[in-house]
Amino acid sequence: MSGAGVRIGAVVRKEFIHVGRDPRLLAVVLIMPIIQLLLFAYAISFDVRHLPTVVVDLDHTPDSAAYLRAYEASGLFDVVGHGADPTAVDTAFDRNEAQVAVIVPAGFAASLARGEQAQVGVLVDGSEPNSARVAQTYSMALNQLYGRALAVEWASTQGVDLGQIGLVEPRLRTWYNPDRASSIFLVPGLMVVIIMIVTAQQTAVTLVREREQGTAEQLMVSPLRRIELMIGKLTPWVIMAFLDIVVIAVLGVVLFGVPMRGDPVALAVGATLFVASCLGIGLIVSAVAPSLDTANMAAFLVAFLPAFLLSGFAFALDQIPPVLEWISRLFPARYMVTISRSVLLKGAGFPEVWPQVAALAAYALISLLIAVRLHGRRA
Amino acid sequence: MSLTRIRLLVWKEFLQLRRDPLLLRLLLLMPIIQLVGFGYVVSVDVRNLPTAVVDLDQTVVSRQLESSFTASGYFLVVARPDAETQLTSLLDTGVAKVALVIPQGTQDLLARGQTAPVGIVVDGSDSQIASVGSGYAAQAIARFNASRTAAFTGSLQAPGIDARTRVVFNPTLDPINTMIPGLVAAILMISLMSIMSQAVVRERESGTLEQMFVTPIRPSEYLIGKVAPYALLAVAQLSVVAAIGVLWFKVPFNGSVWVVFVGLALFLLISVGLGLLVSLISRTRQQAQQALVFIMIPTMVLSGFIFPIESMPEAIQPLTYAVPLRYALTVLRGSFVKGSGFEALATPLWAMVGFAIVIFGAAVIATRRRIAE
Amino acid sequence: MAITGASPAAPAVSTQGLTRRFGDVVAVDGVDLVVQRGAVFGLLGPDGAGKSTLIRMLATVLLPDAGEALVLGHSTASEASAITGRIGYMSQRFSMYPDLTVAENLDFFATVRGVPKQVRRERSAALLDSMGLAEFGGRQARHLSGGMKQKLMLATTLMHEPELLLLDEPTTGVDPVSRREFWRVLAGLHRGGTTVVVATPYMDEAERCSAIAFLQDGRIQQQGTPEEITALVPGTLVEVSGADPRAALAALADLPGVGSPHVFGEVVRVLWEGSLASVEGAITTHLRAAGFPTVRVTPTRVDMETAFAVLAEAGR
Repeated sequence: MSGAGVRIGAVVRKEFIHVGRDPRLLAVVLIMPIIQLLLFAYAISFDVRHLPTVVVDLDHTPDSAAYLRAYEASGLFDVVGHGADPTAVDTAFDRNEAQVAVIVPAGFAASLARGEQAQVGVLVDGSEPNSARVAQTYSMALNQLYGRALAVEWASTQGVDLGQIGLVEPRLRTWYNPDRASSIFLVPGLMVVIIMIVTAQQTAVTLVREREQGTAEQLMVSPLRRIELMIGKLTPWVIMAFLDIVVIAVLGVVLFGVPMRGDPVALAVGATLFVASCLGIGLIVSAVAPSLDTANMAAFLVAFLPAFLLSGFAFALDQIPPVLEWISRLFPARYMVTISRSVLLKGAGFPEVWPQVAALAAYALISLLIAVRLHGRRA
Repeated sequence: MSLTRIRLLVWKEFLQLRRDPLLLRLLLLMPIIQLVGFGYVVSVDVRNLPTAVVDLDQTVVSRQLESSFTASGYFLVVARPDAETQLTSLLDTGVAKVALVIPQGTQDLLARGQTAPVGIVVDGSDSQIASVGSGYAAQAIARFNASRTAAFTGSLQAPGIDARTRVVFNPTLDPINTMIPGLVAAILMISLMSIMSQAVVRERESGTLEQMFVTPIRPSEYLIGKVAPYALLAVAQLSVVAAIGVLWFKVPFNGSVWVVFVGLALFLLISVGLGLLVSLISRTRQQAQQALVFIMIPTMVLSGFIFPIESMPEAIQPLTYAVPLRYALTVLRGSFVKGSGFEALATPLWAMVGFAIVIFGAAVIATRRRIAE
Repeated sequence: MAITGASPAAPAVSTQGLTRRFGDVVAVDGVDLVVQRGAVFGLLGPDGAGKSTLIRMLATVLLPDAGEALVLGHSTASEASAITGRIGYMSQRFSMYPDLTVAENLDFFATVRGVPKQVRRERSAALLDSMGLAEFGGRQARHLSGGMKQKLMLATTLMHEPELLLLDEPTTGVDPVSRREFWRVLAGLHRGGTTVVVATPYMDEAERCSAIAFLQDGRIQQQGTPEEITALVPGTLVEVSGADPRAALAALADLPGVGSPHVFGEVVRVLWEGSLASVEGAITTHLRAAGFPTVRVTPTRVDMETAFAVLAEAGR
């Protein structure tokens, strides 16, 4: 083996010993990703399915009861209570017992019998905007459908054939994820976020620790070149990160039914470059941070937050302000989320994801070079 | 207990903080960065979904249908391919997330009084968009149908429903209005836990903790001296967040200052307790950092801070009761958004009292015992 | 202006006008230094004199602001890679991996410095044995005592048999027995032809060096062999005993011909500028007159400590 190879090998072995001697670190690297995966994949869902609803029927007629049954039948609104008067709504909202309230005023049936537009009130608690918006949208659609059904019924008694009015019927198809399972959407992105957190956070402190221990100076007074040191430090983490990726991918396929539709080679190449980019960022932080505290804090800023917020793993990037969208391009996570989702869910290969792969390759190379330049500049 | 000694300890902590100007700057910058991130990214309202329209009908009706989509403001037409086959590449590359396919002969079918199927394709690899997009699409089509029916029946005096949907508490449905109160609690917790645990562990690492206990300083004085500066710092951080929230993001404050104060005070005790517990189980700052991440991530996910608890599977929901942040969020959001008072928020407030007694109490007893050893 | 392709005859270290500043502080100020091959060169001086800065510049860890240092014939600024494999540098503070064992630390640094596997095994066994660390090979470095830590660091710097050893206060904070052992090892290396540059605040260690330089405020005040240094001290060193030293010191201060009076344990030491013959009479007479009837005056050999105390005083 060449001199450089032997030296890099020595650093790799040493790094493995460090990890092996620190059981907590080992747990963070190998067990935490699994916990995070299970937590995120099971707990996070964007589908609003059950909206707790109170109904207040002041009309007490078969017509009003039939109208309110439409809410129960919808599957989205869970009728959790029947209020005697509108104050029940305030109480339910204040105690967070319901998010939607439907009030049918007295005279509902009478209005319908007169052929009028019968008024009803739908109240939505806006303090949870996401579900409030869904509640709003679906209650509007429900009322339009119900109103139309009433009109058709009435028309048939009048001998008018409303069937003459052709209707448009939506045929909804959800591509890539037909059941719209959140976990299938989340797992490919989660892989990226978890890897970013684990690797960047750990490498961010590695050079700081060498400096604090004084071993950085010892290494300077040796033929070990800086690039060799970096490669030696990266190799064990690349291996461990890969282990994490494999574990997450296997769990994703086995537990959550994530498909593997595309080219695994493209995914592997992307993942390798991505891991190298994360480590490059970690090393840059490590090279400039004056203390462990600062390194930890900085890693949180450049690894955790961008991976979580600006990767597109859960929050759509085309919906955020342009400035932030631009900033998101400065971090590798978003490219990898695209690759991972395209390959796993959309069946993509190199022809589709090459721009992202290229971006990551450039990223890995540049960040590593910057880290090499910044670390151990002789003062 | 001596006030002079406590003051001395507090002064020492501030001196140490000032020595590390980069750290101090990061500590003050952090809440602002989180505010921008969570404010503009997480609480974003899904609008202008990139939409591809394949209009194979090219008629008045097909154009009406399309405009009922675009008029809502939720769909932005980015492409008009000639054939359905072209959708594959548009969705594969993510150029479009939603597609509307109007088949040839739609107008004829409608004119003959038949049901005309219209294709709506959503990109399921992006759950949020798929969920919201399909909802809006259903609404747009329902409106299209309703307007057609109304045009026909309007003259006939047919019965119908006039639903007045009203959003109470947060009429603009702006997510930022619930995000900011949540962020206040989250930042209080992150900040206090991380700086507190780091500060105590650093003292142990450098051996000054031992030094401290050969002086007349008593454990309780030490604790107060250690907690006070960081509690102040955290209060400063969340004041910044609240101020930016109210002044910049124009978050309305509807509730009582006292409710917020009591809620935050209880939560502060809980966070300090958690920080101390972390420092007790960590020998090095690195370990403290790892323990912190171990606690923070489940807290963020399960508290309902970002992902609503109602959307979680029922098997997961009971777990959320073990997360103190959950109750702090209920109190702060209830107070900010709904203007709820002590009566309505009694349950979460009492839960926090319980957590404060258990966590802070355990932390103080354990720390004192550790110190006395 | 680096001299490349160094001949074997080049001195181990030679510096010209070597200068290093930290902000407003000039830590090393125009140092000209030559260390011949095979020397044990002592770099002496009080805390803050610039010893560490000078050593770290020679070890290629710090860059000079001005001037040049040639180590083994190569410039530390432009040819660091030609130097690092051939020197051993031991910093003042413990700088090994605390979570690696003694044997693992030795093996890691030797591998990085290109020592073949077979040689590594033999040498580490021999070194650990000769330093009394043989039974601690499997112990993590953080659990070693202070003296053992220093020995581990020395052993680490010796694994690749460097031509030049740069030691920065290797015995500070080490017990006297370990210090003596440490110097025994250095003496062995010296016999084997290794050049050693050692910074130390302990004057007694200077006596064991073949050449020394005295550094103060970043400048070299004196350099030469220990004999040459002591010879620089003007006059004769005499010890005055038999009286309360502090009182005697005060009484001697105004006696003409007496220089640098100072208390040394139970005696007062002064430098006598006159002839050796006249010293006893002059001092006893003076002190008797001052009320000290029973003093004894004995000339002694000038040791390093006194030499530097005197020379430092003269240098101010």
